[in-house]
Amino acid sequence: MDVLWLGVLALLLVGYFALEGFDIGLGMLLPVLGRTQRDRDTVVSAMAPFVLANEVWLVAVAGVLFGAFPEVEGRVLYGLYPLVVTLLISWILRDAGLWFRRRLDGTGWRAAWDWAICIGSYGLALSWGLILAAIAQGLPESPSPLAGFGYAVVVAGALALHGWTFASWLLPGRVTGRGRTGGALLASACAAALPAAVPLAVLAPWLLEHAAPGGTLGVLSLIILPLTPVMAGAQVWTWRTFGPRRAAGRLPSFF
Amino acid sequence: MDVLDLARTQFAVTGSLHFLFVVLTLGLAPLIAITHTRHAVTGRPEHERATRFWGQIYVTNYALGIFTGLVMEFQFGLSWSGLSEYAGDVFGAPLAIETLGAFFLESTFLGLWIFGWNRLNRWVHLACIWMVTLTAYASAFWIMAANSFLQNPAGAVERGGRLVLTDFGALLGNPALVNSLPHVVGAGLWAAGFLVMGASAYQLFRRTTEREFFTSSLRTGLLVAFAGSLVTVGFGYAQFGTLALYQPDKFGSPLAGTALGIMIIVGQLVQLLLLLLAPLAYWLPRWRWAQPFLMILTPLPFLLAICGWLAREVGRQPWLINGRLTVADAMSPGLTSGMVTVSLVGFTGVLGLLALADYLLIARAVRRGPTAVALGAEDEPAPAVREPALSH
Repeated sequence: MDVLWLGVLALLLVGYFALEGFDIGLGMLLPVLGRTQRDRDTVVSAMAPFVLANEVWLVAVAGVLFGAFPEVEGRVLYGLYPLVVTLLISWILRDAGLWFRRRLDGTGWRAAWDWAICIGSYGLALSWGLILAAIAQGLPESPSPLAGFGYAVVVAGALALHGWTFASWLLPGRVTGRGRTGGALLASACAAALPAAVPLAVLAPWLLEHAAPGGTLGVLSLIILPLTPVMAGAQVWTWRTFGPRRAAGRLPSFF
Repeated sequence: MDVLDLARTQFAVTGSLHFLFVVLTLGLAPLIAITHTRHAVTGRPEHERATRFWGQIYVTNYALGIFTGLVMEFQFGLSWSGLSEYAGDVFGAPLAIETLGAFFLESTFLGLWIFGWNRLNRWVHLACIWMVTLTAYASAFWIMAANSFLQNPAGAVERGGRLVLTDFGALLGNPALVNSLPHVVGAGLWAAGFLVMGASAYQLFRRTTEREFFTSSLRTGLLVAFAGSLVTVGFGYAQFGTLALYQPDKFGSPLAGTALGIMIIVGQLVQLLLLLLAPLAYWLPRWRWAQPFLMILTPLPFLLAICGWLAREVGRQPWLINGRLTVADAMSPGLTSGMVTVSLVGFTGVLGLLALADYLLIARAVRRGPTAVALGAEDEPAPAVREPALSH
């Protein structure tokens, strides 16, 4: 049972990077890919219908950590206190940019929130890099700053590549000037998820040692497993509804 | 303030902000879903306009529910790791089920609903908002179940210095849950009713060109608020019966007692007013003198909801888990005043400003009325393919 929930946790974390990774990457690239306001609107419209379905994977990671590995949850989050606070504030800033940018007319308002999206996305990518590096080192009191910096650059680069590939796949020729296939998107998703897989492997034995007892995991399984087809279905449906075939002609304009 | 007070303040501020937005989400969701259903069934344009207008207010409000909710979820691990250490095997279960079995679906279906206008099949699109509503109430159930465990740790025993889940049925049938959940649900309807009534009164007072639209919504808002107040007050008093079993001295402290007193006195007065107004629902929208009065009433259910949470949470002090774990013991060991001060300023600064901005945006959406709504507007044409020669 504990192996099953370790698998769920791993799937959710890897899925978060493979999916939300392109939103963060596009946010980082926003000033580069969108030189004009209209181009930035296109970049945001490309990711907009996916963001709510993607970012929620991390909410689920934290939930599973709390429910299935409660001792680890407290120690990891508290052990990474300043980084987790930075991650949360960056996440909120990025989301606020998305939700608010079109709620008032005026170019200044929208341009300012576009900067919030960009800065928030950089904050997300870099704090993730530092968090993952600290976990990979086994959560020491003072993790190596050089390793953290290096890992942050790798994570940011992988997410930016993933964002670029997603835009080239969804709107070929319209955002990056290039087109990419679904296979290329899958490859960049793997590149985005790989930096998370390494620390997860380091953490795995510790997680298994501190899993919640069988009774708790049994209750979780009983309630969550029957819902997984609906959860997977809604995710797949999002991709079917807003995929490249449907995006070519018109773009949703709420975010 | 010492570090414990700071950490408690942080939880109280972010929790109160979270509930201000969540209470409206809970109340508005079923109203939007019903309006959308009328639109889908009849195909009449006024129902579509109503769905989009109130829906835009709903999703604008929803954004802050997400932002504050993220801090709430992670705050347990940041400041209160002693809670997961001691009781995570029990308390973590409803929270994990909430994130996976409810919020995961709610967020995905909300994305489909917001961006699915003009592209999803009519009935499929309608199903999305019903899924959002259903999962929002499932969320409320699991969160209230988790909170009720803190009020009265039912279904668990202590073994080896930690709590172990022994009876999941007892956790869900907790006497601290059975009356508090409908109390919260009623408060949501009350808040949503007041928002709809206040916004409609504002538009009518400004001699809107949408008279019919806002006359009808003012009546709906009044009746929903009245129904919500009956549920809220009824299940509010019902909680006193079971409270004697697990927290007989709950309202002994000055703050908890004051919060409870304000909630009861103001709540009863407003409910009395609703009782008098409800039979006049047909005529009320025409009475111009009443409109400013209805507008200024709008914040009341929100303020009362905060009083309710203050009474419920402060009344349990010094316990985090009643009779089992104190807040002092639950605080992350080694947490310093400096750490909490920085994050407190960061979270309350950012969330406070965003909350203020969000309320101004909601006010603006109300003022602009149903003719200029972004939600469900026509999609924009995608940009042309760039010629390779022109790309850099």
